[in-house]
Amino acid sequence: MRNRTGNRKKIIVATLLFLLLLVGLIGRLVFFMVFQSEYYSRKAEDLHVRERYIKAKRGKILDRNGVVLADNVAVCNISVIHNQIKDKEKVIDVLCEELGLSREYVEKRVNKVSSIEKIKSNVSKEIGDKIREYNLAGIKVDEDYKRYYPFGELASKVLGFTGGDNQGIIGLEVIYEEELQGESGVILTTTDARGIEIETKGESRKEPVNGNNLVTSLDYNIQQYAMQLAKVAMETKEAERVSIIALNPGNGEIYCMVDVPEFDLNQPYDLEEWIAESNLQIQTANLQNTEEKQKILNQMWRNGCINDTYEPGSTFKIITTAAALEENVVSLEQRFYCPGYIMVEDRRIRCHKYGGHGSVSFVEGMQGSCNPTFISLGLTLGVEKYYHYFSKFGLLNKTGIDLPGEAGTIMHKKENIGPVELATVAFGQSFQITPIQMAATVSSLINGGNRITPHIGIKTQNEEGNTVKTYTYKTGKKLVEEETSETLQYLLEKVVDGGTGSNGYVEGYRVGGKTATSQTLPRNSGKYIASYIGFAPADNPEILALVVVHKPEGVYYGGQVAAPIIRQLFENILPYLERM
Amino acid sequence: MGRNKGNLRSVKTRKKDEYFFDYSLLFVVLFLLGFGLVMVYSASSYDASTSKSFNYDAAYFLKKQAFSGVLGIVAMFVVSFIPYRFWERFATLGYLVSAVLIVLVLTPLGIEANGARRWLNLGISVQPAEIAKLAMILFLASLICKMGKTIRTPKGFWVVAFVPVPICLMVWKITDNLSSAIIIFGIAILMLFVASPDYKRFFLIGGLVAAAAVSVVIVLQNMDTAQLQNAGFRSARIMAWLSPEDYASGTGFQTLQSLYAIGSGGLFGKGIGQSMQKLGFLPEVQNDMIFALICEELGIFGGICVILLFVLLIWRCMVIASNASDLFGALLVVGVLGHVAIQVILNIAVVTNTIPNTGISLPFISYGGSSVMFLLIEMGLVLSVGRGIRLKEKV
Repeated sequence: MRNRTGNRKKIIVATLLFLLLLVGLIGRLVFFMVFQSEYYSRKAEDLHVRERYIKAKRGKILDRNGVVLADNVAVCNISVIHNQIKDKEKVIDVLCEELGLSREYVEKRVNKVSSIEKIKSNVSKEIGDKIREYNLAGIKVDEDYKRYYPFGELASKVLGFTGGDNQGIIGLEVIYEEELQGESGVILTTTDARGIEIETKGESRKEPVNGNNLVTSLDYNIQQYAMQLAKVAMETKEAERVSIIALNPGNGEIYCMVDVPEFDLNQPYDLEEWIAESNLQIQTANLQNTEEKQKILNQMWRNGCINDTYEPGSTFKIITTAAALEENVVSLEQRFYCPGYIMVEDRRIRCHKYGGHGSVSFVEGMQGSCNPTFISLGLTLGVEKYYHYFSKFGLLNKTGIDLPGEAGTIMHKKENIGPVELATVAFGQSFQITPIQMAATVSSLINGGNRITPHIGIKTQNEEGNTVKTYTYKTGKKLVEEETSETLQYLLEKVVDGGTGSNGYVEGYRVGGKTATSQTLPRNSGKYIASYIGFAPADNPEILALVVVHKPEGVYYGGQVAAPIIRQLFENILPYLERM
Repeated sequence: MGRNKGNLRSVKTRKKDEYFFDYSLLFVVLFLLGFGLVMVYSASSYDASTSKSFNYDAAYFLKKQAFSGVLGIVAMFVVSFIPYRFWERFATLGYLVSAVLIVLVLTPLGIEANGARRWLNLGISVQPAEIAKLAMILFLASLICKMGKTIRTPKGFWVVAFVPVPICLMVWKITDNLSSAIIIFGIAILMLFVASPDYKRFFLIGGLVAAAAVSVVIVLQNMDTAQLQNAGFRSARIMAWLSPEDYASGTGFQTLQSLYAIGSGGLFGKGIGQSMQKLGFLPEVQNDMIFALICEELGIFGGICVILLFVLLIWRCMVIASNASDLFGALLVVGVLGHVAIQVILNIAVVTNTIPNTGISLPFISYGGSSVMFLLIEMGLVLSVGRGIRLKEKV
C-alpha cells in the first residue's frame, strides 16, 4: 500500500500541474478579451465591414435670374460582379452590344476574379435602364449624377467643368468646390470572407448631403449676346481671340465674361471642334502626343480675361488722367502742343496721329487720345507720384476675383523707371495687366472713386432655395475724390461725343468710353490689340464693359474694331438693364 | 485526500449500492459533447450552407458529428459495464495493431484530406493516431503492472520511456502528425511519472525540453530571411508565433484570425451564432479553432466556463485514479486524464498564440469523428475503473 500512496501523491501533483497551466491560459484569455479586446475588435471590424460611398448631388450654378448654367443629369455606371454571374456568354453579349465596347475588353473584365469590376461609367440613363431590363445576374447598374451644362460653350471658361469624380477642374467649379460638392454618404455593409454581404446583419447608412446651389452675378442674356458679338467680331476680323467683360462698376458684380473661342463644357477634352473654330495655327498631328495635347487643352481652357495680361494702351490714359486730376497738375482748359511727337531725354516718342494734333486743350487731347499730352502729364507728376498712384489704385495687386489663376501685373520696378519708361507707362505701354484689372480699376475710378472687387459668386442656396451663405467682397477703399471721378465721367463722355470713341455712341443714352490700340510683342510683328472701355450712363454708371480684340486682320484701330462691339452690346442691354 | 474520501462517503450515503458510479463525470462528458454539437453547428452551418461540396446543407457537419457522438456514447456505456481488467489481455495486441494501422495509411486504404494522409477507410474513416493513443494507454498500464518493482530501477524507467518512441516516430513521420506524436509521448511520460517514485529525472527531462525550445527560438530569431526560407514550415510557424502580424498573410494568418475572434468576444461575446470570424475568415473554425469561436460568441465568460468543465472532468479522473482498486485501473485513468488535459491545454495555448500553431483538436467539442469516439471509449474505461472502487473497503 505504500506504493499506492506514492502513486496517489504523483497523481495529485500531475493534476495540480495541469490546473496551473489552465490557470495560466485563463490569464492569457483575460489579456486578450479584457485588455486587448478593443484593439482586436477594431481589427476584426475593419475586416468585416465594407464601405460604399453614395455620391452627393453637386450644387447647380445659376445666373442672377435663376437660369441654370450648370446642372446634373442622372447617368448610370455599369459594373459586373464576378461570382454572381450565371450566364457569362449572355452577359458579355449584352454588354458589348448595348455599350458598344469591344468583345475583348468586356471579356477581360467579366473573367477577372474581383469583388466588383467597372465596365463603363457615365452611361446614359436610357442605356442603363435597357441593360437593367435584361435582368441578368451579375450585372450591376448604379445610378449616378453627372455634370451637365445646358448651354454648352456659354461662359465655359468662367463656369469650368468637373472631372471623373465630379470634382471641379477649372473656373467657378474649382473656387466653389467645397460649397458645390456636398458631402458624400456612406453605406456600411458586413461581408463574409468572400466579400458577400451578410443580409441578416443589415447595413448602416449615412445619407449624402447634396451640394448647395451657387447663385452668380452672371446674366444669361448678356453673356449670350456678348458671346455672339465676340464670335462675329472674331470671324469678321479674323482675330485670334476676343474678350468681353461687362460688370456693374458700382459693386463689382460681373454680368458677363466672354473669351472666344470658348469650348463645349460637355466635351471639355474634345479639341477638334475648338481648333476648327479658332483662328490658331495648331497642327492636329500634335494631338497624338499626350504632353502636347495637354498643352493645347490648357490653352483652350485659359480664360484670357484673367489668366493673361496685355498692354492696355490708350485706355490706360484714364488712369494717368485720374492721377493728374487728383494731384491738381492739370485743368481741363490747360493747353498742350502736339507736333506729332515728343522728345523724352534723347528719345523721340511718336503720337499715333501723323503730323500731330497741334495745339489742343486737355479735353481735346483726351478726345484725340494725344500721346504727347499724356506723356507731359506723366512727366509732370514724376516717377514718385506716378508710382504712388499706380500702387494706390491697386494696379500692383490682383483684383481678388473669385476665379482661379488670376495673373498679376507685369510692371517695371520703381527704381528702374526713368523718364522714358514713365512716358511710355503714361500712355499704357511697356507694362502689362489683365483685362479684368483694367475693367475693375476704371470702374473704381468712374464710380465715385471706390475700389471694387470684381466677382461672380453672390450667394449659395440650399435645394429649397433658402440662402445658406452670402458672399461679401471688399469695397469702398477711396481711390480718388468724388470730384475727380465726376471729371473723368465728363472727359470720357467727351471721348465718345466727338472723339476717338464716337463709334461707341448709343442713341438715347449718355455713354462714356475710351479706345486703345496697342502693338503686340514683338513690336515689329505688325499685329495689334484693339480695345475699348465703355460705360453708361456717363453721369451715373450702371454698367461698364471692356472688349479686347487680339490680332485683328485689316483695320486694327480700337475705335473702328472694338468700340462698335460695345455699342451693339449697349444698344441691346441698356434697355434691358433699365427693366431689371 | 480527505475531501475525496468525503465525496465518496456522501455518494455512499445516498446510494446503498456497494459500488460507485461517477455520475458527475458522466454528466460533464455528456454536457461537453452536447455543447460541442451546438458549437460545431454554429461554426460550420454558414460555410456548409453556402458550399456546393456540402450540398448546401447547413447541418452537414452537425449530422456527421452527432452520428459519431451517438456511436461513441453507446461504446462508452458498453465499455463502462465491462470490468476493465478484461482489456489487459489485449494490451500487446493493441500496441501492435495500432502500429500496423499507422502503416496502412500508406496503402490505398489511406485517405488524404487537407494535404495530409492521416485517415484510414475502414467502413468509416478512422484516424490511426487516435487508436494509437488508446492502445498506448492500455499497453503502458499493463506493462508497468507487469514490471512490478522493476519500475523503480533506472532500467525500468528507460524501458517505459522508450516504449512509446517507435509509435510516436511513426505517427510523426508516416501520418505527418507531430501534434499527435507529442500527445502520445506526453501521455506516456505522465504515466511513467505517476508509476515511478522518482522526481529528479522528470525535472531533468523537463529542463532539457525547455532549454531545447528556447535555443531553437533564439537560433531562428537570429536567422535572416533566406535562411528562414530554407528552414521549413515548422520554423516559419515559430516565427509567426513570435510576431503573428508580420506574417499576417501567410503562416500567421490563422493565428491572427483566431486572436481577432477571441479579442472581439469581450466579456459576454456576440451571442451564440453571431460570430463574424466563422464566415470564412478563420480557417478550421469547427475543428482546431473552435475554442476561438466559443470565445467570440460567448465571451471570456463562456471560455472560462468551458475550461472549468474540463477542470471538473480532470478532477473527477484524478479522484477515480487515486481511489482505483488496483494500479492497472489507476494507470488507465491517469492515461486518459493526461490525454484530455494535454489536448485541452495545447489547444487553448494554440488559439491564444501561447505556443506556435500546430493542429490539435479540443476534446469532445472540436469536429472530428475518430477523436470523439475514442475519447468516449476512454471515458467508458474511466467509468469502468470508477465502478471497480469498492466503497466498503475504503470505509
